Amino acid sequence: MIQLTNIEKYYANKGVKNYVLRLVTTTINQGEFVSIMGPSGAGKSTLLNIIGMLEEPTYGTYHFMGEDVTSLSERKRIELYRNHIGFVFQAYHLIDEMTVYENIEAPLLYKKVGSAERASRIADLLDRFNIVAKKDLFPNQLSGGQQQLVGIARALAAQPSIILADEPTGNLQSAQAEEIMSLFKKLNEEEGITIIQVTHSEKNAQYGNRILHIADGVVKEDVAVLS
Amino acid sequence: MFKLNLKIAWRNLWKNKVYAAINIGGLALGLTAFVLMLLYINYEKSYDSWSPELKNVYQIREKHDFFTPDNKEHWQEISNSRIAGIIKESVPQFTAVTKIDQEWGNGFSVKIDHADPVMVKGIKDADSAFFNVFPYQFIQGTAANALKEPNTVVIKQSLANKLYGTDHVLGKEFKLVRWRDDTGNSLKITGVIADVNTPESIQFNAVSHTGDQDHDPDQIGSSHYTQIYAKSEGDIDTLSANKSLQKVYVDFKKKSFAAEKLNFKDVYKDGKSPGLKAISLKDVHPNPPFSLNWLDKLKPVIGISIFLLVVSIINFINLATAQSVQRAKEVGVKKVLGAYKKQLILQFLIESTLQSISALFLSVILIEILLPAFNHQFNITLSFWHNEYLFSIVLQLIAVFIVVTLLAGCYPAWILSNYNPVSVLKGNYGNSLKGITLRNVLVIFQFIISVTFIIAIGVMHLQTKYISGKDLGFDRDKLINLRTGYDQNFADKIRRIPGVQYVSTTTQVMGNAFNNKSKIIYKGREVNLNGVTVTMDALQTLGVKLVSGRLFAKEYVQDTINSVVLNEAAAGLLGKNMVGQTYGKVDYQGKTITFQVVGVIKNYHNEGFDKAVLPTVYKVSHLGGTSNTNNLLVRFDTKNYKGVINKIEGEWKKLYPDFPFQYQSMDDAFSEILEENKRFMNMVVLFSVVSVSLSLLGLFALSTFVAKRRTKEIAVRKVLGASNFQIVNLLNKSFLILVVTANLISWPIAYILVKKWLEGFAYRIDLPLYPFLLSSIISIVIAVLTVSIQARKTAIAEPVAALKYE
Ligand SMILES: Nc1ncnc2c1ncn2[C@@H]1O[C@H](COP(=O)(O)OP(=O)(O)OP(=O)(O)O)[C@@H](O)[C@H]1O
Ligand SMILES: [Mg+2]
Repeated sequence: MIQLTNIEKYYANKGVKNYVLRLVTTTINQGEFVSIMGPSGAGKSTLLNIIGMLEEPTYGTYHFMGEDVTSLSERKRIELYRNHIGFVFQAYHLIDEMTVYENIEAPLLYKKVGSAERASRIADLLDRFNIVAKKDLFPNQLSGGQQQLVGIARALAAQPSIILADEPTGNLQSAQAEEIMSLFKKLNEEEGITIIQVTHSEKNAQYGNRILHIADGVVKEDVAVLS
Repeated sequence: MFKLNLKIAWRNLWKNKVYAAINIGGLALGLTAFVLMLLYINYEKSYDSWSPELKNVYQIREKHDFFTPDNKEHWQEISNSRIAGIIKESVPQFTAVTKIDQEWGNGFSVKIDHADPVMVKGIKDADSAFFNVFPYQFIQGTAANALKEPNTVVIKQSLANKLYGTDHVLGKEFKLVRWRDDTGNSLKITGVIADVNTPESIQFNAVSHTGDQDHDPDQIGSSHYTQIYAKSEGDIDTLSANKSLQKVYVDFKKKSFAAEKLNFKDVYKDGKSPGLKAISLKDVHPNPPFSLNWLDKLKPVIGISIFLLVVSIINFINLATAQSVQRAKEVGVKKVLGAYKKQLILQFLIESTLQSISALFLSVILIEILLPAFNHQFNITLSFWHNEYLFSIVLQLIAVFIVVTLLAGCYPAWILSNYNPVSVLKGNYGNSLKGITLRNVLVIFQFIISVTFIIAIGVMHLQTKYISGKDLGFDRDKLINLRTGYDQNFADKIRRIPGVQYVSTTTQVMGNAFNNKSKIIYKGREVNLNGVTVTMDALQTLGVKLVSGRLFAKEYVQDTINSVVLNEAAAGLLGKNMVGQTYGKVDYQGKTITFQVVGVIKNYHNEGFDKAVLPTVYKVSHLGGTSNTNNLLVRFDTKNYKGVINKIEGEWKKLYPDFPFQYQSMDDAFSEILEENKRFMNMVVLFSVVSVSLSLLGLFALSTFVAKRRTKEIAVRKVLGASNFQIVNLLNKSFLILVVTANLISWPIAYILVKKWLEGFAYRIDLPLYPFLLSSIISIVIAVLTVSIQARKTAIAEPVAALKYE
């Protein structure tokens, strides 16, 4: 599904190249649940952003579902966002002016899903995440954990094949974090959604089935998690 | 999606109520000024467009130098009446020609049976062909027959209603008395025409056919000047028509010069040339013979109102982009959810449309409220809803609206939709410097306009004060003008009334400035002076100041024959020590008469201060010139002259029962002269107030946003120990630089504009420095106050709140 070959990323500063990623080569298959780990500043977020096509690598090739991403048109990329990729952020990034319901609805509107279908999907998600009662509240009326649930519900609404999550539990207490991790695991196992998350917590990483250890922009270790 | 976007737009507006209100209010102000202008322009453009047939009507203009304000040749609306006959005979392109007498005086007296006479303005005397040329619609009577007979009159429906209370007036008669001791004509109403719905360049309430216009003066040397209009049958080639006109005119001139024993070459020298042309009726109003046309007069105002609109659009853009910081996250998130850039641009355009629609509604309300005042100011009748051209005005409005919305919405939409999701989602959008430079430039631009306005107001105020306090050269107190000719009997009667000091007449006085060229020969040199004829004690009546020699007096017999008084301007042209000197003047028979200068007086003003006092020679005639000077000056020796005027009116009624008594005090004549300038000044003040408040609104909102955006920085600084004052200063500094820059730029701009305005006055102040200083101080103080209010609010807030929130 994802194929990275010799990905490099650097920032030029006063003529000096500061490498963030060096010769990253890896393949992630459909149905995997990958955790990216490493010290702060190692380049984890950068790698995830490259995978999510939010940033471009300075060098290297990247194939997403068999297509070369570097030669992808803007339009094509947006199509991928609409149909295949769901993002979950550490800071939730819900739209403040929209209610919970509307936040979840937004990607469906972009995808041009019919209104009946939309209503049933949203009802389903609200129900599944136990936030039916909150559907008319605005994000600033929710707790952090609740906001992140909405964030995940929003990512799932368009029924993506892959979820990219950058420290999704970074701002949450461990109880809430566990809830979200088991949710990810369930999605991965029951619905076959590919998940790639960045995390600092060894415990969270155990929910997945593969860990990429990164340090100084280099993949140091690529280990499978034994369950 | 559309519905959701609308909802978001609404929630955003609501969240930022104050700024939304400022935004919408500002735009509404700008739009209002612009739409008022639009209405005015439409009004001016609608002149003489009440019938499609008018495209075949032409005004004849002759080039000559009679009755001109500067004694130079102009293409004039009044032509030698003989020309009408010549056109009828020898220019076949024109199938009908009519002569319309100029209106003089303050209207004519209309006496219906034994009722008191009333003054009616706009009774034009024409020949019988008037309605062959102008396609007025007859409610009663017919165009073909109405004016056939002499002593007939056709009146407009509105006048019929005013005079008789009904428009069924066919066959009724009234007496028309045109001046005080006119025996009058009894006119029979032979037609009633509908009032037209557009302004007309020949304004009239009635057209009479007394018969006076049916023939030209008998003597070849004397001529009668009238307006001449001609009509063609269908479209004609005006170029060739004008060629024929020019040709027959030159022939006519040659013939009449031969009869008068004049040499063609002698008359047309020094750049003078004969000229006759026809201009289409629709070109009459835009091309007045002497003054600037309305478009040129209006240009500065059009410029200003466009400026105001631009300023309000700038505010709009400024606020929208400043606000966009708050929207950055929304954009970033939507982008990763799969929104096209196009969709985002559309969303933000819809938002600005929403605001500009509100502004539009608000401005329509404002226009309704302001129109009466505007009409009063410009002395016109504009209306929005009852406008003949409502449809086209609405179209123009829609066009303006679309342009405004696009101008105001596009830039912010573009800025917003361009946010890069990564940096936004990383959380550093808050410090994004995008658009800062542009916003600063826009703030500077607004302040340039405002400061320029304030300087202009200052200078205009000083100039106005100067001219309204200027010594007129005569004493306008306790002096009235009866607007009638001099009659010895009447003058003697009112001289006997206690309180009356002088009674006299002159051909020229403030409020009735009639310039008459007079060529003299002094020491072999030809000099053109302005000639004024007065009665013996007219100069005393005016209270002019003597510089040397003496004024006219009864004791000197020669004063009624060949004594003259010069004003300083004339004396300056001729030489030093003019008293006692003599000069020659050729009379109409070719004889040279010698005149002696007996006195020199200080210049005194008859016209506005835009015009220099002409070099003038004053000459006594026993009757004060002709009987129709239309000025009868009365000076009182008491301040309470109201009762004296009543007594004069009593005498008047006994002598002239058919003509109403009218007078104008010299104070009023003077205010009338100042009026135009005052109007212009009022308008500038109005526009400045709008412009300055728009700029301040903009600055206020912008500083709020900046303060808000820097909330966290301010909180941190406070925790680190900054005082409130230091924080207010911090915010002020960035804006102060902008305002100071704007001041520096506007000084030279204002200098050029104000200097140009002052140059329009023959009598003006030296360009003062202090309006410049004052405007800079005012703008800086106001800016600092505005920013400080906002900054203080942020500064005194609890720092915890800001820090906790993050
Ligand atoms: N715009 C930029 N310009 C220069 N350097 C940058 C830029 N963005 C990121 N970096 C650098 O790239 C490196 C990797 O950043 P990245 O955000 O990927 O780290 P990370 O592994 O996610 O760290 P953390 O666990 O703290 O989130 C850091 O050293 C950072 O300084
Ligand atoms: Mg990171």
